[in-house]
Amino acid sequence: MERSFKRSLASLDEISEALQTFFADNDARTEHLESVILAVEELFTNMLKYGGGTGDIVIAVALDDGELVVGLTDFDVDEFDVTQAPEVDVDRPLSERQPGGLGIHLVKKLMDRIEYNYVERRGTTKFFKRLNR
Amino acid sequence: MGGSGEVMLSGRLDAAQTAKLQEFLDRIAEPKVIDFKDLKYISSAGLGVLLKTQKRVFESSGTLKLTNVSKHIGDVFNYSGLDQIFDIELVDAP
Repeated sequence: MERSFKRSLASLDEISEALQTFFADNDARTEHLESVILAVEELFTNMLKYGGGTGDIVIAVALDDGELVVGLTDFDVDEFDVTQAPEVDVDRPLSERQPGGLGIHLVKKLMDRIEYNYVERRGTTKFFKRLNR
Repeated sequence: MGGSGEVMLSGRLDAAQTAKLQEFLDRIAEPKVIDFKDLKYISSAGLGVLLKTQKRVFESSGTLKLTNVSKHIGDVFNYSGLDQIFDIELVDAP
């Protein structure tokens, strides 16, 4: 599946539905579906905030021998490598916690691995998740 | 909205929904319990709203209790370290 989505929070419903359809069409085990939707939302909303892009964002999803591969590509943007985001200290007490900053931390925790590629002002963040376990 | 200070969430709490929820929670003087029974999904944006509300409640010597939290959503709280900050009651296993 490869589709482009308008860079708007209003696209999140459409993205969630597209992922649900992909899982159903491929008879993929759904126990990780909500985690995958969460990872895509976090990366998509990150692209809305950073990099300076203005066009649509392309999401490609593939299943390769039980491993789900999802890539989000933003075009004509500055380099913004989410894999280099600083670690979040999740053990801090309430008084020191601030809303925000948890998104990429959750992607790293919930998915098996995450990669970033930047070529000719095109930024792609890709994550991998094995579904058959 | 349930009983006194009790809020019931339903559906999917993604980044497109958080402004509405924040506005709603800000209008409740002393939220006490948030029932997750019909909540299917939450992202970091939703966690941010709850964290902000918890900070406000904590300042008045209270704490938010989250009830009927599913295993998946419970995992999201654990990975975020927020299981140490909220009083979380997981939904009974089927």
